Formats: sequence, structure tokens, C-alpha cells
Amino acid sequence: MSRATDLSLRYATELKGYGASLPDDFLAAANALEPRLPGAELDAWAQAGIDLAASSLRAWEAAAEYFRASPGVVERLGAEGMRDWSRIAAELSQRSSLMAAAFLKSTPEVLQSIRPGDLEAWSQQGDRLCRGNWKSIALSSLYFQVSPSLLHNVSLEALGRIVDIVDSLTERSYELATTCLETAPSIFASLPVPDREPFLRFARAVARASWADIRLYFERGPKLIEGIAPPERARYLDLAARVTAEVGRQGFPLFSDAAQALGTMPLELHARLLSFAERLSVGSPIASMEYLKSAPFVSSRLNEAQMAKWAEAGSNILNEEHNPEGAEAYFRLESARAEDMLALLSARVELSNVNQLLRMYAQALSGEPVAVQSAEALVDRNIGWVTESGATTEGNAIYLPPYVATFEEQDANFQVYKVFTTHQTGRMEFGSFVYEFGRDGAHAPGTAGRRELQVEEDRVNRAAETGVPMKEYVAPVTAMQRFFNMFEDRSLILGLFTIAEDTRIDAQTGREYGGIRRWLRVLQEHEANHRPPVELMGLRQAYMENLLRSSLGAPETMRWPQSLNEYLRRGIAALKVVELEGATVQDSAEVAQAIYDIAVAIPNVPESYADGKFDAVSEDMYQIAPGMPGEGEGAPNNMPGGEEMEFENPPQPEFRGDFKPELVQLMSKLKAQKDGSDDGPTAPLTKEQLMELLQNSAEISLGEWSEGDLDASLGAFLENIEQEAAKPAGDQKQSDQADGGDTPDGGKGDGGESDLKPEIDWFYYDEWDFRASDYRPRWTRVGERFSEQGDGEFYQETLRKYHGLVMETRRQFELMRPESFKKIKRLEDGDELDLDLAIEFHVDKKAGVGPQARIYNRRNKVERDVAVAFLLDMSASTDEEIEKQRQKYDTNDQDDFDGDPRKYFQWLAARRAKNAIEPPKRIIDLEKESTVLIVEALEAIGDSYGIFGFSGYGRDNVEFHVIKNLDEQMSETIHKRIDKIEPIRSTRMGPAIRHTIHKLDEFDAKVKILILVSDGRPQDHGYGRDRTEKEYAVHDTKQALLEAKRKGITPFLITVDKEGHDYLKQMCDDIGYEVVDDLETLPRRLPTLYRHLASE
Amino acid sequence: MALATEQAGFKQIAVEDFRITEEPYYLPISDEVELFETAYRERVPVLLKGPTGAGKTRFVEYMSWRLHNRDGRGHEEGVPLITVACHEDLTASDLVGRYLLEGDETRWIDGPIARAVKNGAICYLDEIVEARKDTTVLIHPLTDYRRLLPLEKRGELLEAADGFLLVMSYNPGYQSALKDLKHSTRQRFIAIEFDYPPREQEAQIIAKESGVDPAIANDLAKLAEKVRNLKEHGLGEGVSTRLLVYAGKLIHDGISPRRACQVSIVWALTDDLEVQRSIEEVVSSIFE
Ligand SMILES: Nc1ncnc2c1ncn2[C@@H]1O[C@H](COP(=O)(O)OP(=O)(O)OP(=O)(O)O)[C@@H](O)[C@H]1O
Ligand SMILES: [Mg+2]
Repeated sequence: MSRATDLSLRYATELKGYGASLPDDFLAAANALEPRLPGAELDAWAQAGIDLAASSLRAWEAAAEYFRASPGVVERLGAEGMRDWSRIAAELSQRSSLMAAAFLKSTPEVLQSIRPGDLEAWSQQGDRLCRGNWKSIALSSLYFQVSPSLLHNVSLEALGRIVDIVDSLTERSYELATTCLETAPSIFASLPVPDREPFLRFARAVARASWADIRLYFERGPKLIEGIAPPERARYLDLAARVTAEVGRQGFPLFSDAAQALGTMPLELHARLLSFAERLSVGSPIASMEYLKSAPFVSSRLNEAQMAKWAEAGSNILNEEHNPEGAEAYFRLESARAEDMLALLSARVELSNVNQLLRMYAQALSGEPVAVQSAEALVDRNIGWVTESGATTEGNAIYLPPYVATFEEQDANFQVYKVFTTHQTGRMEFGSFVYEFGRDGAHAPGTAGRRELQVEEDRVNRAAETGVPMKEYVAPVTAMQRFFNMFEDRSLILGLFTIAEDTRIDAQTGREYGGIRRWLRVLQEHEANHRPPVELMGLRQAYMENLLRSSLGAPETMRWPQSLNEYLRRGIAALKVVELEGATVQDSAEVAQAIYDIAVAIPNVPESYADGKFDAVSEDMYQIAPGMPGEGEGAPNNMPGGEEMEFENPPQPEFRGDFKPELVQLMSKLKAQKDGSDDGPTAPLTKEQLMELLQNSAEISLGEWSEGDLDASLGAFLENIEQEAAKPAGDQKQSDQADGGDTPDGGKGDGGESDLKPEIDWFYYDEWDFRASDYRPRWTRVGERFSEQGDGEFYQETLRKYHGLVMETRRQFELMRPESFKKIKRLEDGDELDLDLAIEFHVDKKAGVGPQARIYNRRNKVERDVAVAFLLDMSASTDEEIEKQRQKYDTNDQDDFDGDPRKYFQWLAARRAKNAIEPPKRIIDLEKESTVLIVEALEAIGDSYGIFGFSGYGRDNVEFHVIKNLDEQMSETIHKRIDKIEPIRSTRMGPAIRHTIHKLDEFDAKVKILILVSDGRPQDHGYGRDRTEKEYAVHDTKQALLEAKRKGITPFLITVDKEGHDYLKQMCDDIGYEVVDDLETLPRRLPTLYRHLASE
Repeated sequence: MALATEQAGFKQIAVEDFRITEEPYYLPISDEVELFETAYRERVPVLLKGPTGAGKTRFVEYMSWRLHNRDGRGHEEGVPLITVACHEDLTASDLVGRYLLEGDETRWIDGPIARAVKNGAICYLDEIVEARKDTTVLIHPLTDYRRLLPLEKRGELLEAADGFLLVMSYNPGYQSALKDLKHSTRQRFIAIEFDYPPREQEAQIIAKESGVDPAIANDLAKLAEKVRNLKEHGLGEGVSTRLLVYAGKLIHDGISPRRACQVSIVWALTDDLEVQRSIEEVVSSIFE
């Protein structure tokens, strides 16, 4: 009998007592070990197993694992090792048999990765996680379970660090710790080897600083760093770790955003970006991550060298101004400086920055109130224009691409805009849209009438020949349509008319504007060098392309078969006619017709069919004299045959842009009809006519309509056009807004909403970030609207109630008038004689002392020229009842009753009775009443005044209610609006003040005053670092008040907040303010204050 | 009687002796010359309306010269021109005359209107709206059939000499409610409207006045047309012929056209940077 069987027999019963399967496991193991362990060792092994099984109730499971694992480890461990191993197991089992079982089970596989001598260390790392409770036991068991696969990928030491992280998580959440440990193997398996350690280092930082983000990090981290150049990943992770160590919770989001941003940047830039970020991180960890985050945007505007300069400027804020917050704002792009710098360095020119300028420029050139808008806006309106990147006009406004970055220099790109604008203005100025059917041109007599007859005759004949009935005649709506109707190929005639008309406009522009010629030339050359290759075009299309190149002044770029030279020559000669001085749109139409007859006969066959290749043309083609094709020349013949390609007009040069004369004429026709200014036949256009136009027009590309539903989409389209025509000309609110006007999207809030809603105009203002000492550009959005109307009775009621006061203030204000005449005394000459002086003079003279006849007075009229804006706080807190407010402060109220309860009850009863008769008065009521009084007073003195209220919520929605505009006349409507002054929400003072400044600034007056009436400190959602912070709001408000002063406006603050003294002192610095202690004196106080302010 | 006294470097002339002896350059734009001549013949007072620098003053000078020349009288007897620039402190006595103290005595001094009335001159009240309303009323009896000027302080009435005519100028541009002419004043005059001349004529004036070559003059006139399109859209007033002449003079003397336009037109017109910039863009589009 073997020793194994012997041992097994010996222990069978005992083992069976612990667990049914144990004897079998034991026997199998003993059999396997027998040949490898000396007798005594085998005994010891067996004994250790028995002990293990006996050590606790559930320890048999550990023992089972012990037996099962033993054969797998014995080879590696040897006898001595086996002893250590079972000892460790026994120790673990003391704490938890479950843990011991996991340890034992994993050992064979783990030993593939670590040395036997490290078993102890490995087990201790697991043991560390065990704290005796079941959750910790489960966790450390998990540790042993996942060890084999983890150790395949990481060192034991690294595993130790994972344990550290998991361990630190257990203080927060076992669940989280477990998940992390569970996912660890797959994460580390997927991470490239060099990334594993750095990944862990950052994980540790996250676990310390913001443990809850660990799960996200484990989930997304590997993906996030994938986008980073492999050699830079470690640096990035270490940077992120350092940042996180300093900034805590923000660390992970910063890591994640910056990694994403970096991922979109070209790999070869990563090293440089990271080096710079590392430099920044010394002074400001946040700035370094913000720098990376903004890199994609900045690089969309700047080239590498410019980017470096831009970043350097930000780093100076950090290192030279020692203003980390400023640098952070800078790199976050929430800083005016950052934007200015960007604009300064960038060669790209944004439409939003030059739109106002171009608008005035276009207005000057054309003499029409044109708006300048982004081409995107026109596309959105769905009235037939589809290119967002080109320039165009629909007759009222000029549409330009949102930015220009054609050249390397800013000025050059601005000049591009200018050429765009000049060309579009030229269409208006030189009459591209005033085509009249059949009229003579300056150089070419009108032939359209004759042609129309011919075309009609042909149609009738064809119908007779073929027996196919003619299409019913629909009267054309516009002259342009009637013109295009004459041609079989509408697309071809439109293309030719466009080339002719653009050529004419360019020529006129060059003649009229000598200064723009140079840039026009530059752009023409640029375009000529970027034309699509002629070689790929069909013959007819190539013909058009060559005409276009010739019109761009680049005949050397023409490519055309030698044998067909004559036709090209004729086309070019005709085209030159429109370049002659005095040429009109009629000439363009005639030229287009003439060339059409040539072009239409040219088959659109590929180059290979053409008789001879597309060669450069001979130089005599460079100088062709203008001339219309002669009568006898006739249509081309001897054309090559073959299968034709689809014809398409060559693409428009960018600076010429879309040209849609048919649509423009239609719109102005519709408009004229709406205005009743149409002097043509008065019969209204029928829907049928309009549909006919739209269906046939070559100016609308068919791709825009879904095949099946042509009628429906045309209908919708027509509706859009009609709506458009109903708008008043030069509707250009958007571009008329002043500094707030350059909205990023040019969008107006609710243009499309129903008439019932008040129309809101949006304005954008910067906000002052005192920490960064910089403005946050376009940070706030102010919505201006007229206040709704309430009951006018309130106004009258207030007048009745304060009758005495009203009379008194009116009188006082009237007294201010004479003050405005200054008397100048002692003049040699003047309007009136000063009696005293005259007598004095005579006395002096008689006395023989220096007679000087300074005895006249003169009154110098000083015109009162004052404008005042009242800005009322309409925040929710103004809803508070005054009584309550008073109680809040008067804590010693009880003293008034001398401890006499009867007095108290009397007071209480009186108050209740009062409340029953009239509802308790609120702060807002006092504001309203004061408004009424001041209105009365101001009407007496005749100063210009405006009344505005403000409230809102958040930076995107600052509500600005106009009760009375500065130039509005007092009326019943305004009385009603005053009644609607009511508490709304927050108090974001800065933007409200800025908008009021804007209004005062637009207004013409010598003295300008802004009076802000409020009930407390500035406050709003996001008006500060967090909800409790007050500094930010106070600083921004102060800054806004200073801006007022800088614009020559006198700001003044009135508050009813008794605690106002503390922040007001800071906020107002050397700006006037007053805290009105007794609330109910506000109506009396306001006029008095105004009197002082306005007479200074 | 040669009253002009020649002193060191300057000439001093009593107002009533001022005659325009050389033909001023004036390019008639429409029928204004004929209208004025007729008005003068009928002694109907004339109001010249129009924006600044449109040639009103030049026109009056020209007419004064033309009238006396046509009458074939010698220079001394011709129609003198007395011009008063009105301002808001202008008082009745400034116009009519006043007593001054001279040692122990008082002495009466005639004001410009009184002088014009006595001498049969054309009295040109420039920018009449600037004068105070009570001042304007004073001219009422002079401008109807009576042709009388009351000298209140002396208790006298002055009857206008035969050649006397009252002409006023008025720029409706910056008319505010405060500064408008009373109807009773307005309706005593026929009004001749002045506006900036059309491009060709303006170019002619610029060329003639500044000596600049016709092509540049034409460009300046073109620029003016464009800039005037901005009136009420950023600009209070369009550019005047006067400024264009200035620009022409600078160019004639060798300043580059862009620079000349900048100093004499852009900066003279507005302080608004944005508007300045857009006008400069127009300038740089027109001038190479
Ligand atoms: N029709 C004209 N013919 C000749 N010169 C003219 C004419 N119109 C304007 N000018 C030129 O314009 C200048 C300005 O004209 P003028 O001084 O007469 O203007 P005004 O109408 O009197 O202006 P203001 O109202 O400012 O006094 C003249 O000096 C002259 O050079
Ligand atoms: Mg003048």
C-alpha cells in the first residue's frame, strides 16, 4: 500500500467529517505528491491540510482548495516552499477561510508570474484589504481571484499600488472598490505596457483627490489617452496627476477634457503642447489644462507660430503679472484679452467683427439702407439660396461668408471682404436687377422682342408638326422670367447671363473705384489659379469655363481645341461688349443671348471626342476687340459628334458669388405689390403664375426638393418668399445693435414667435471678472422688451394719494429752470444796465477816479440738456413687505410697548385692520409710486428721461423691461406700463447697467445721469464662484458703474437695504449713493435727490 | 470816397464801403441766379436754405457783384454787401445800434442793419436761426411793404434806401424744435434751396477752386456722393463742397489723396471711430 493510500485511510473519517468531498480531494493530491515529497514532508503536508480543515466551520473549503492546488505548486515550491505556503494559508484562514481558499486556488497560476519567495508579499497585499468584516473579506478574496490575470500584465509591486488605491476607496465605498478591482484585469490587459505605470500613478491621484471619479477613470481613461501620441502619454498622465493633486475634484474633468482636446490635435504637436502645459502648471495647474483644452479652437484660428505667441501672452499674465486667475480665464477663453490677442494674431477675419463697418461701407456705395449678414442666415430662410460660404445679395441685404481666411495676412483677408461687398453692392449700384424686357442696351440694341416672336412661332409650328398640344400659356411674372422663357436650356442662359453680368459689374467697379482695382485683380488672379481643370469638362462646359477665365482677366489659362478657336473668339468678343463704358444690364442680356446661340450648338462631348485636344490658346486670343457676333456668322457647324456629358455651369468665383436675378425680381415684385407701389398691371399674381416661375427657374437647384413631394415643397418655398417680401425693406435690427450687436450667431431670440409675445431684442455684454482682472467677452445676454401694460388707474391713484407731495415737487422742479440763466455782471456792453453800477460809475467819475464804464449785465442762456435713466430693481426680493423688512431690523420693537401687553394688542389689532383695508405695501410698490412722482416732476422740468426695470435669471437671460424709452413721449401707455413693474427674479446688476449705458450713450444730451434704485446687493445664479460668493457680483457692478463714468454718465445708487452700507462703500468707491433708511420716504426722497444730481 | 485805410499789412474798411470788385467764381446749379435777380428787382427778401458749405455765402457775394455790375454803376456806387454772422448772444442792439458812453457824452453807433438800410446794401444775416427770437422779430417791419427799421432807443424810424435787401441763410440740418424759425418770420421771404451740386458740377467747382486736375476732382465729387449716402446712417451731415475744395487744395499741393481725404474729410466729419473707418474704406476704394 502506498503512503498516500495509507495517509488517506488514516484521515478519511476525519476529513469526511469536515466535508464530503475532502477524502477524494485528499487522495488525489496525496497520490500526486507522493513521488515528489519525502515521507516526513508528506506527513507534514497532510497534517497542515487537516489542521486547515479543522480551523473553523467553513475551513473545509479552504482545505479542499489546498488539496486541489497542491499538485500544481509542489514542483515550483519544493518541500520547504510547500511548508511556507501552507503556513501562509493557515494564517490567512485564521482571518477568513474564504480568503484562504481564494489564495490557495490562485496560487498555481500566480506562480507563473512571481517567484516563490514573493508568495508571502503577494498574500500580505491581499491580507491588507481584510479588515474582518465580510465586505472586506469578499474584497480581499477578490484580490486573490484577480491576481493571476493581473499579474500577467503588471508587476507585483504595481499590483501593490492597485491595492493601495482599492484600499483607499474602501474608506468611501466597498462597492466602488470592488468594481475597480473587478475591472482592473481587463483594463491593464488592454493598456499598452508603457502606459500601465503612468495610468496607475494618475489613478492614485484621482483616488486621493476625487475618489468618486475613479470608476469613470477606469471606464474611460484608457480610451481617452488613446488619442495622445504614445510617447507623450506618460507625461500627460503625470501632468494630470500633479494638477489633480493640487486642484482636487476638478482634476478628473480637466484631465478628461484636455485629453479629448489633445486627441484632436495633430500627434506631432503633442510634445510641444505638453511642454508648454508643464511650464504653466508650475504657476497654475488649472491654466495648464485649460491651455490644452483650448488648443483645438485656437489652432483653428492661428498657425503654429501665432499660437505660440498667443500662449506666451497668457503665460505672461501668470508669470509676470502673477495673476493665476487671469491666466486661467485667458486660457479658458473667457477673457477679453485672450480674444483680442487672438484677433490680433489671426489672419482670419470674422464677419462679426467687420459687419458694422461693411454695412456702412455698402450703404455709402449703394445709397440704400443695406444690411450685411452672414450667408448662413440667408440659407436658413429657405428662399432659394443654398451656399453658405459665398457672397450674394437678394436685393436688400448683402450676405457674406462668416469668415475669410484666404490669405496669410489679416489685411488681405479684410480686403477680400471688401471686394466681396463691393461686387454685391455693385449689383445694386449698377442695376443688375433692373432688367427690362426687350429694351436697348447702351452698346447692343434690344433683340428680345424679335426673338420672342420667333420662339413663339417655332412652338406653334412644332405643335402642329408633332400633334402634341402646346403647354398652356402662363403669363410671366417678371421681365427676367420672360427673358429666360425664350430659351430651351434655362440653365445655360442663366450661366451666360451670370458671366456677362458679373463681367460688367467687375468692369464698372474697376472704373468707378480705382482704389479697389488692385485687390479685385488679386482676387481675380487667385480665382483663375483655382479653377477646376478644363480637361475634365465636356466641350460646352469648357467653352463656358474659358469665357469665365477670360472675364477674370486670365486668358493665358484658357484651354481650347485649336480647330474651334473661331467660336471662342466670337464669344469673348461679345463678352467684351459689357466691359465697355456705360454698358447696362440690357447689354448683358443681349450678350448672353448672342453667346447662347453659339454655345447651345456646341455638344458637351468629352475632350477625347473633340477634334484636337484642349490646348493653351494662341496669344492673339489675349487681345480681342469687343464686338457682337455679326448677322451672317450663324451657328457653329462641323461640331464633333459623340456621347454627351451632363452639362453644368462652371462654379462661380467666390468673390462674385451667387446670382439669382429671377428670384430677386420676383421678390421685389411681390414687395411692390404688398406696398401697393407696383406701377405695372394691377392684377394680383396668381398662385399658378408663381408656381410656374419657381418650377422652371434654373436658380433653384432641383436637389432641394424631395422628388415625390415637389408641389408641397414648392408651396412651402413660395410661402417663405412671400413672407420675405412682406418684411419692410432694410430690416436690419440685428446689425444695428451697437456693441452688443456682434452676436456670435447673429441670431435674434424669438423672431419667429407669435405676435402676442413681446418682441425681444438681444444684446451681449462683457462681464468683469475681478480675479482675472479681465472681461469675460459677451458673457451676458440682455433681452430688451417693452414692459407689459397693466392698469392706468394706478398712476392716477398715486397722484391722488400724494397730491400734496406732487404739487410740492413740481414747484421745486419748476424753480430749477431760472437757475439755468447765468448772469454775467460788470460788462462794458450788455442787455441791461445795472443801476447800482451806473450810479457808482457816475460818482467815481465826478470824483475823478478811474472811470471805467463796466455797467452792463448780460444773461447768458444755458440750455438745460439733461437726460436721465432710472433703472429699477425688479428682483423677487422687492416683493417683501415693508413691515417685515422693518421688523427684520427693529429688534427692539417690544420696547415700544413698555412691556404693556395691552399696548401690544392694540398695535396688533390696528395692524391687522390696516392690512385688511389695504394690502401690505411692498418695496416694489414704493418703487412704483416713486416712479410716478419723479415722472411728474420731470415732466415739469422737461428733462429727457427713461425708465427701465431689470431682473432675470442667469447670464443668458437678463431681462430688461422698457417702461419708457428716453425719446418716448409720456402717454397713457406708459402709465399702464408703470403698473406692470413687478418682482420677477434675480438681480444681475452689471449687464442691466451696461445696457442702460448703451441707451444713454446713443442719446444726445450734454448731461447724462443713471439712477439705479434697488433693494439689496447684486445677486444672480452664477454671478460669482458659487452661491455664497458675493465679491464677484459687487466687483462687476462697480466696474459697470465705472464704465458709465468713463462714458460721461453720472451714476447714482439708491438702495433701501439698510445693510447696504458695507458693500455699497466698496461698490461705489467715489460714486454717489444713498441708503434710504425710512422706506416710506423713498417717494419724497427720489425727486429731491434728482434735483441735486441734475443741477450740479 | 476812399475810406479804406491802409495800415501795416492789413486793410480796414467800414462795412458799408465794402464792395465786391472782382467777380467771385460761382457756378449756377439751377435757376437761382435768375430767381435772385427777380427778387432783388421786386425787393422781395430772400431766404437761402441749405446745408453748410453748399455755396450760400458765395452765391450772395456773386449776386452782389453781379447786381452792381449789371446796373453799370461804378464800384463805389454799386450794391455793397453787409454780412452779419448770427449767434445766440446776438441782441437787437447789436444789429440796430446803441448808445455808447464817451467821456462825458453819449454817442450813438449804428449797427450793421442800420448801416445797410441807410446805404441801400444787401444785408446778409448768416445762420439766422442761431439768433434769439426777440432779435429776429426786429426785422419784421423791414421785410414787408413798409421797409422801415425802428430805432427804438432814439425814437426814430429809418426808411430803407432803395438798394436795400435783406437776405438770410438757414441750415435746416440741425434744426431742433428749439431752434426753428417762427412762421411769421419765415413767411416774409422767398426761399431758394441749396443742396450740394450733382457730381459733374461739383467736380467742376472743386477743380476750379482748388486747381486740382479734373480726374481727381471727379473722384472727390464721387467720394462726396458716397459719403452723403451715410447721412442719417451714422453721419449727421454729409460732406460739404467746402471740405472737398480743401481736400483738393491739399492734393494739389502734393499731399497724397488718401491722406488729404483723411484730414480734410474723414476726421472733419465725425469722431465716431467706426464711421471714420467706413468712410476711410470708401476713400481707399476710390483712390489708389
Ligand atoms: N455753386 C458753387 N460755385 C462755386 N463755388 C461753390 C459753389 N458751391 C460751393 N462752392 C464752394 O464751396 C465753398 C463753401 O461755400 P459757402 O461758404 O458759400 O457755403 P455756405 O453755404 O455759405 O456754408 P455755411 O452754411 O456753412 O455758411 C465756397 O468757398 C466755394 O469754394
Ligand atoms: Mg456761409
